[in-house]
Amino acid sequence: MNPESRKKALHYFFGKVVEPLGFKFTPDVELMNFLLEQEVILENKHGVPFCPCQPLRHKRERDMQIVCPCIPFHRKHFDEIKRCWCGLFIHKDVLDPDTLPQLSPKDMNHV
Amino acid sequence: MSENFIKALRTDEIAPGGMKPVELEGNEIVICNCSGNYYAVQQRCGHMNAPLDMGTLDGTYLTCPMHCVQFDVTNGEALSGPVPADFGNETPPPMISEYLQNIGILMKHIHTESILTYKTKIETGWVYILL
Repeated sequence: MNPESRKKALHYFFGKVVEPLGFKFTPDVELMNFLLEQEVILENKHGVPFCPCQPLRHKRERDMQIVCPCIPFHRKHFDEIKRCWCGLFIHKDVLDPDTLPQLSPKDMNHV
Repeated sequence: MSENFIKALRTDEIAPGGMKPVELEGNEIVICNCSGNYYAVQQRCGHMNAPLDMGTLDGTYLTCPMHCVQFDVTNGEALSGPVPADFGNETPPPMISEYLQNIGILMKHIHTESILTYKTKIETGWVYILL
């Protein structure tokens, strides 16, 4: 299977999911391509496009919460940092994603 | 109109975003209406022969109803393999578990192939397909 074609398809499907959630793709095209490429690799390996920036725990209930786009499972956290953990998606009102810090839930006092 | 093109169905028989199966000269074909652009692909999935017309069409992406393998109907390219089975937190009964293990051994040897596409033409409200 052609990774480029799959990246294009994932971009299409993810866009439809995140748009109603108030998110959009990062304008950093290089980062976007890199992250989608990693997801294609993970999908080929596991059958599911897991988040490339979070570790698999091999516990299904937890791992399903990091299937991209994982925004619904981490909504409170991502709404506060205005991006997803990877930075693949950012809030619609963000123009410069480089200004957004990658704060963990611990940093946000969520845990 | 070239002689090789075969009249398949009326364009208004498929709503935008819809699909319809047809059989033309022994060929099982699905015609897809992607926002007014008509594409024709083989009806059977390139993974395990499930009827693709029972799946879903989103844009130009067709998802198989059996294992969620996805294809691009513009060129027939297989975009993904089958999605793993989902048992949630439940452990299947031993007999089912053994059955699934055997199926898993067989499935390991099954590859997902791209599907055939057919050239289409629209004329006087009909979709024609080149076989």
